Amino acid sequence: MSAAFTSPKRFAWARRASAAPGNKAQKMHVHYRDDLRLFPNRLRRAALAAMVLAWAAIPVLWDVAPFTLLSGNGISLNTLAYAGVFSIAAIGLNLLTGYTGQVSLGHSVFLAVGAYSTAYAGSVWGWPMWLWILFAPALGWLVGAAVGPFALRLRGNYLVIVTLGLVFIGEHIFRNWKSVTGGNAGTSAAGVEVKLGFIDFENLSLFGKSFGKDESYFWLIWLLVALVAWLTKNVVRTRPGRALQAVRDQDVAAEIIGIDVGITGYKTQAFAWSSAIAALAGALYAPLQLFITPGDFTLLVSIQFIAMIILGGMGTIYGSIIGALVITALPRLIDGISADYGLPGVAAKSTDSGLVSVASLNVIIYGFLIALFLLVEHRGLAGIWVRIRNYFSTWPFSY
Amino acid sequence: MTTFVQATFDGVATGSLYALIVLGFVVIYRATGIINFAQGGALLLGGYITYNVSTSWGGNYFLGILFSVAVCAGFNVLLQRAMLQRVFREVVGISAGLLGWAALYYNGTTHLVGLIGGVVIGVLAYFITARIEARVGDRGPSELPLFGAIMVTIGVLFIVKQVTASIWGFAELSVDDPWELSRTVVGDVVLQHSKLAAIAMAAAALGVFFVVDRYSRIGIAMRATHFDHEAAVAQGISTKIVFATAFAIAGGVAALAGSAATAGPELITPNLDFVVFLAFPAMILGGLDSPAGAVAGGLLVGWIQNLVKTYVATTPAWFPIEDLDWLGAGFERVAIFIVMIIVLMVRPYGLLGTEEVRRV
Repeated sequence: MSAAFTSPKRFAWARRASAAPGNKAQKMHVHYRDDLRLFPNRLRRAALAAMVLAWAAIPVLWDVAPFTLLSGNGISLNTLAYAGVFSIAAIGLNLLTGYTGQVSLGHSVFLAVGAYSTAYAGSVWGWPMWLWILFAPALGWLVGAAVGPFALRLRGNYLVIVTLGLVFIGEHIFRNWKSVTGGNAGTSAAGVEVKLGFIDFENLSLFGKSFGKDESYFWLIWLLVALVAWLTKNVVRTRPGRALQAVRDQDVAAEIIGIDVGITGYKTQAFAWSSAIAALAGALYAPLQLFITPGDFTLLVSIQFIAMIILGGMGTIYGSIIGALVITALPRLIDGISADYGLPGVAAKSTDSGLVSVASLNVIIYGFLIALFLLVEHRGLAGIWVRIRNYFSTWPFSY
Repeated sequence: MTTFVQATFDGVATGSLYALIVLGFVVIYRATGIINFAQGGALLLGGYITYNVSTSWGGNYFLGILFSVAVCAGFNVLLQRAMLQRVFREVVGISAGLLGWAALYYNGTTHLVGLIGGVVIGVLAYFITARIEARVGDRGPSELPLFGAIMVTIGVLFIVKQVTASIWGFAELSVDDPWELSRTVVGDVVLQHSKLAAIAMAAAALGVFFVVDRYSRIGIAMRATHFDHEAAVAQGISTKIVFATAFAIAGGVAALAGSAATAGPELITPNLDFVVFLAFPAMILGGLDSPAGAVAGGLLVGWIQNLVKTYVATTPAWFPIEDLDWLGAGFERVAIFIVMIIVLMVRPYGLLGTEEVRRV
């Protein structure tokens, strides 16, 4: 590369534009701190704030016009709460797979660790919420840190298979450690208290109005989604995050430039934190699901998480959330639509005749979406969005 | 002693099944570097086609096996062409053919008409796309990154499994094979004829494969491609043919495995593909790129699985812990994964696999 491209003089105009406050145009990253910034400009920050506010208002507006279209077709606030739980888990998986490049099929095990520990600590030991909501991620972190060094000794295909083994071993333990997990029959999480001090999430009252479980859980879960997203974003845009991405791009090179990939190194830490985040999702999953069985944490669930981050976008935080929303909402939408209107060749109930059942169709659609996005747009929905944004922000030029 | 011999015999039978399944994975991995999860789909398809020919179409069981081997080989080649080595006109042709077949089938035509119609539509679409491409310019093949390719095959596995389930249903079906429940008792050891047949089938298939791999032109081409991809291409080896052959062989052995797994007292359900996941420890144990390792790993894992199963059920007298029931039902399936993890800690590339040299 010639000096002309890198000399400071040449990009002086861009730097001036970058420094000028209130300039709405997409700015060129000419300085290191531009890369580190959480929001590249004020417009983005305002847009995010507006989106968060609108999202928080959903439970209040659920019975109003545009949302009735969703609630009429099988999507409830409860669905969105599940989507929130899966968003948290997907962010965790994206930290490990999207940012660190270590593919794990074992994510559902850590979700299960969180869910079972919460059900047990909450119901049997009667722990208060602030304790179990910290206990689950801590346990998840410990399990992840214990398993991680063994799994991460391997790479690529071998890692995929070992994490697959983790799912089978985990499922076997959940089916047979009957005193804690209840075995095949599962265990109830109905006794778990979802109450922080005076805030009771079973029966919330705000500004003199009282809200039910669906609304309160929606706020609780999405608040935690925002928290986890923010924390993870901060991790990935600073030094540890850059170390993880260096490991992803070329692990030998990363090791040579001084990034620790040993037993206590960045890879293991990413595995542990990703497990902790999944366990946090599990902790919320237990009271939401009320009754958890080993069938909730199978290989299919792990693959759903993979589908979420592929669909949403590998190596992006908001991609994980979008992916989780789509993958969670899609089956319910198909359920609702086929029950109301009927889809050609699809049997809505098990007694109907048809080429495929709704459950089969959902699995087919997962498979199809994974294949389609990898073949057509491997950066996922986030990649499509970035392309659209760049098109407009650099308009009329194509780059 | 009888228990041990019995467990060993059953282990060899299970192990030869695993060896067949793993051989399919290894052949594909060696040629393309992809773990093809869709092998589970080919296995399922193979099992059901054998079932269909042997019962519904009133045909011969062995004819059914041959037919299923051919269909699964074709299925795998289509998968490879459409999903993994994407030449645009082939993708369009294959998709149009499959869609046409599904549409004809759904509209109540017979299997044969649907199949012929699908093939005609696919071929037409292929040539039309080729003509258009000749005008506007060829897009050429585009390859997926490795992780993407693996995930795509998982997606295909899901699709095939559900489609199979929707055609044949979730109920357990019994294949009309010549062995049924017949068996020979030697001493106190029960030799089930279906298991003997599975061992023989696996031995024959593996024997043919090793001869082909060692001495035939295409076998040498496959090994050369694995050894050094670019040098092989420079020597005039067509990687297109090598890849397609590898996938076809893998499809064939998967169909054989599917048929062997459902013979005798065993029943067939859409959950048969689970046996593929159980074969993973065997694959890892032997090493991902070694066909000999596939056989060794398969037999070893099958043996360990049956030993664990036998001795957990009836704990021998010398064992310090008297009762092993707390390990739970189906512990033998988990045991092989534990063995796999222990082996991997010591030898990260399996027992016979090639250590990968990594460069920056």
